[in-house]
This record gives sequence, C-alpha cells and structure tokens, in this order.
Amino acid sequence: MKHFTSDPAAEPSSVVYSRCIVDLKTGIMTDEDVPCRNLEDVLGGFGRSFQILAERTIRQAYCDENPLIVNTGLLTGSSAMTGMRTYFSGYSPIKESKKGLPAAMWSAGSGNFGAKFKWTGLDELIFENRSPKPVYALIREAAEGPVVELKPADHLLGLSTHEKMMVLQKEYGSNAHFAAIGQAGEQWETVYMGAVALSTDNQLKSGEDKMRFAGRGGMGSLMGYKNLLALVAQSSDKIKPLTPEVKKVNINVVKGGGSARLQPISRGGGGGTWAAYDVLQVFHAVPVNNFRPQGNDLPEKLFRENVEPQFVIKSEACFRCGITCHNNVHEKNEDGSAGRFLAKFDYEPLNLLSTNLGIHDARLATSLIHLCDNYGMDSISLGVTISYVLSYNERHPEQPLLNRARYGEYDKIRELVEQAGQGKLPEIGRGSKRLSESTGETSYAYHVKGLELPAYQPETNPGYAWAIAGGHMSMGTYGLLTREGKSDMESWVEGITRTKLQIVGFDMIGLCKFFDITKGICTQMVVECIKSEFNMDVTAESLAAAVRRAFLRGLALELRQGYEKDEFALPAEVWEHPNPNIKLPNITSPEFTAELQKRVWEVFEPELEGLLPDVT
Amino acid sequence: MKITIKLVGAFRVGRFKEEVREYPPSTCVREVVEDLRISNFLLGSVLINDVHAGGDSMLHDGDRLCLLPFMDGG
Repeated sequence: MKHFTSDPAAEPSSVVYSRCIVDLKTGIMTDEDVPCRNLEDVLGGFGRSFQILAERTIRQAYCDENPLIVNTGLLTGSSAMTGMRTYFSGYSPIKESKKGLPAAMWSAGSGNFGAKFKWTGLDELIFENRSPKPVYALIREAAEGPVVELKPADHLLGLSTHEKMMVLQKEYGSNAHFAAIGQAGEQWETVYMGAVALSTDNQLKSGEDKMRFAGRGGMGSLMGYKNLLALVAQSSDKIKPLTPEVKKVNINVVKGGGSARLQPISRGGGGGTWAAYDVLQVFHAVPVNNFRPQGNDLPEKLFRENVEPQFVIKSEACFRCGITCHNNVHEKNEDGSAGRFLAKFDYEPLNLLSTNLGIHDARLATSLIHLCDNYGMDSISLGVTISYVLSYNERHPEQPLLNRARYGEYDKIRELVEQAGQGKLPEIGRGSKRLSESTGETSYAYHVKGLELPAYQPETNPGYAWAIAGGHMSMGTYGLLTREGKSDMESWVEGITRTKLQIVGFDMIGLCKFFDITKGICTQMVVECIKSEFNMDVTAESLAAAVRRAFLRGLALELRQGYEKDEFALPAEVWEHPNPNIKLPNITSPEFTAELQKRVWEVFEPELEGLLPDVT
Repeated sequence: MKITIKLVGAFRVGRFKEEVREYPPSTCVREVVEDLRISNFLLGSVLINDVHAGGDSMLHDGDRLCLLPFMDGG
C-alpha cells in the first residue's frame, strides 16, 4: 500500500493499495494499484471486499463470476499486537436466503500467512473463474514488486490441510507460510462448509497440526470449486522496530483488560476461550444436545480443571502475539511431559464437537476436532449440522437419518465427520438449513439466515438475527445478557444498532478481536497504531463511522440477496419450546422479539439507502 | 454478616470453589473482590442471589455472591 496523505478519511483516493487479479481459467495476472474509495477501503478486509462483491450480481456461489477475494487489513503485518489477520471473501456456498441466493460472506484467520502475504507487497488477491486443473498460487516478493504464479497442485490432491502444508514447506522453506484447504474443500460439490487452514510458526517448527482457521461461510469450498488448493506467501520478515507508541499499545493489549482473560491461567489470566464453559454453566447456558441445556452438571466434565489432570495443556500463541490464547492438548507422558499433540481446545469447536453432540469425554473431543481440522471443515457448521441429525434421530427412532447416530454415540458421530469430510455425505456437508428443509423439520435447525450458530445459546442472544457473517464474529451481543445482565429493550436496541456491531471493525483492519474485544477498533490505541505505522491521522469517530458503513453495507447486501425480514430470526424451537433450564431472563419471547425487530429495523432501514451500487 | 461466595473458573485457582465468609455490614462487592485479590481485569460478571449486580452493590447477611471471570470469543 502507498499513501500520499495523512488524512485517509478525507482523502482516501490518496491511499493506493496493491491488487493482483488472477484469471484462473487463462492464467493471466493483472496487477493494479487501486485508489481507495473511502476509509473502509483503507482499513481493508471485508470493508473493501464487500464493496467489490456488491458490484456483482451473483445468483449461485459456484459460478465463474463469483470471485474469491483474499486480502489483509491495514495493520496486518504491522508491529501492532495481533496484526496477523487474513480475510477470505466471496458469495458463500453454505449461507443462502430462502430464495436460494447466496449471501456475501467473509472469513478471517490468524497464523503467519497474513503477515507473509502483506510483506510480499501485495494487499489483495482476487481469483476469478476456475482453473481447469488443480493449482496452488505462489505469492512472492521480488525486486520489481510482488509476483503471483500458478503452480500445478496434483501432488496436493487428497491431502489433509496439514499434509498439504508439510509438502509445501519442504519445497518453500522457512520464509513461506501457507493457506490450504483439505479434502472437504476439494469435495466442494457435496461439502459447502470447507474451511481454509492457515499455517503457524509453531506448526511448521514442530510438525504438529497446529493450524488456525478461516472457517466460516465455506470459503474453502469456494477455493475447491475454483480448483485452487492452496496459497503460498513467500517473503522475508519485515518486522519494524517498535515505536514507543506501539510498544505502549502492545503492553496495554497484553497486560491490560483487553486480553487478560485470554492469557494462560499460569500467568494470571482467564485461560483462553475455553473458560466460557465455566461461566455459561452458571446459567445452564452451555449448549448440550443440539442447544438444549438440561440444567445438570454434564458440561462440567469438560471444564478445564477436570481435563487438565489427564493431559498436558500447552498455552501457545500466534506469531509474535503476547496473548497466548491457544490451548493445545497433548498426551501426558509418564514423566508428566507433553507427548503427542491431540487437538486445540477453542470454545466453539470444543463445545460443538463434544458437549453439544452428547459427548463428554475430552479424549473423544480431541479426536473429532482433529478430524474436522485436518479434513478442513468449519467446526461450527459441521458440529451444528451433526447435532441436527442427532436431534432428528432422537425424535424419529423408527426412521432415523444416515447411520442412525444418537447423542453420545462417538463411533457413529465420528463416522459422520469422516464421511462428511470425504464428501460422501452431502446431507451433512451442505449444512443444517438444507438438511432440515429436506426433512421438513426446520424449527430445531440451529442456523440463522443459513449459517450455523456458534456455541452461545440463541436464548441469550437475539442479536444473532442481524449478524452479517458468523454469528458472534459479526455481532458482539452474545455476552450482553450473560455477561452484562442486560435484558431490557433499550440495551438490546442500542447494542444491536450501535455499539456491538462495531466488532466487525477487527475484520477490516487486520487485528484479532482479542486486541480489545469489548471496545472495537474505534479507540485511541488503534488511532495511535495507525499514526505510528503510517503517519496517518484518523479519529476514533471516523473509524466508528467507517465500520458502521461497512456493517450496513453487509446488511444491505443480505436484503439484495433476497433475505426477507422473517429470516432475521432465531430457530423457532427457541420460542416454541422455551427451555426452562436456562437461568436467565427470557428475551426471546414472541413479544420481545416483535418489538426488537420493529425498533432495530427503524434504525437500520433508513441508513441502508445508497450503500450499494446499482447492478441492474 | 455471612456471605456465601462462589468462585467460577480461573478464580478458583489458589482460592476455593465455594465458601462462607464473614464481612462487616455494608460491605460492597468491590471490597470482597479486593479481599480475594481478584484482578479487576479478569472480573466479568457479578451475581448476587442469581441476579446480575455491580461492584458497588451492597451485600446483605445471607447473600450468595458469585464472581465470574470475563468470558469471550470462540
């Protein structure tokens, strides 16, 4: 990126980003320097990619006109703590309106790939059309600027996410990092929930499959459709010396309130996202058996304190990140040292591939997470679609689905994961919306607008209805009731329409949400990072405005892709059969919901005018 | 006054799960948090008798106080 202004909000066109368009059909590469249109473009991520997607009329995800956009944010690869994010955007194979039109989606991941990509000198890569043969893309720095090449990838076909990366590492060595799909993404026709795995320093040094993921929305399946199996970003590290300002910010991020709860317990922190189990269990709001908590102590079997005696849990981090939020579970050797790596215990994959499936054994949970990660599927969509199957089978023991799996039946659940990952089970691979529509029983399919819900009970979060991408990554209301105790209408309207949508700013600027999840990016810390890294002056207000516009653009795009207002709703079971076990005020009654819908749309609708280009 | 204190998650490490403790009348939640040396950075939610409360909330004899760490992410 080049910039010729210190005021990007007022003069965005004086900020120019570097883009390469790759026509996968012809192999032709087109390099462009693109002036930014607005501050959202400057910030990057989905803020930019959704403006590109909005310029296209896309009626099905698997079509040549649907681009895969790979980009970074302004602070990816900078010295700001957590500045590692890569974004994958396109029209989603899995998330669709009732009219059958695909939703625009983005997915984000950490690891080292993003920084290496940025350090090649490229800001954005757009893949158009499809390659006739399996390929991977090499993005490398060169004296003349970033170079993108397509390379044959037949030797990568059929390999897991991790295996692909190991093969590529042998070829490209230590100055490269990788983004790869697994077998699931290769089976795009029957798997719409393919994820993109991103390599980490830890993974490449240890040889252990400690990847990070851009999981939501099936961007890995879109890559598979395009016959694009992996990306390699090869560049020297360009780590700048820390300025006093950024150093101060980074110390605040690590030691201040923003990330303290995610630090290891041994360092006085909260122990990562796994800690959500303990907190939510107080309210009996840990998802169990397809989002129906039973009011008992079953979830406690996977509390960290009950798992730790059997395993070695290593607290590890992404490249240069001081937050150290990864909880990597290893076998415990006889001498107490760490043995074989089993799986990472982040809250979503852990809950949705164990407790929510009726599995309460940590070792079995590691096995399912490991399979999901290596086949390369979104753990949320996979887990929730399987939990739908289990729920259906419990209701219909005389005529169950698939292999008759029931809650807690590990062997049968494992078989569903493996077969889905191999592309043999489109009933699972195409997600819970389609599956439930095929059975005619949709009320207990836990998706909103076609995308499966994360592991926060919908009874605790009516804000899910307005999430424009993953349910908790694009609407930060999932703690408004449980954490903040807010059950009044004003708090929910304010949260949805103003404060909590700001979480999406992280998916523009290149920072991980753990930088400061409660405050978003419109803070003095971010202002100082941008000033220090680029000598550009922005205000917290201009950042907030840009984030808001980007969010609203996403909402407008949903409406353009055929979503009706009745689709901005929670699964019907939530209000048809309220769960008496959840110990929280009821904020999802039909009355509360109707009033919330009215109030939220009153705020949003007037602001949606003029956000999208005319594509007719 | 006697307060039953329940600690959740990381707060239990080096402390207890649940204990009855004596405090002077008009003790507020903040003072209990300080007494237990729980970091404010980690404190997520406070429940008094199963209802969300704040740091300045006064405690009364027989109250059940639950201190929860900040929960986030996925």
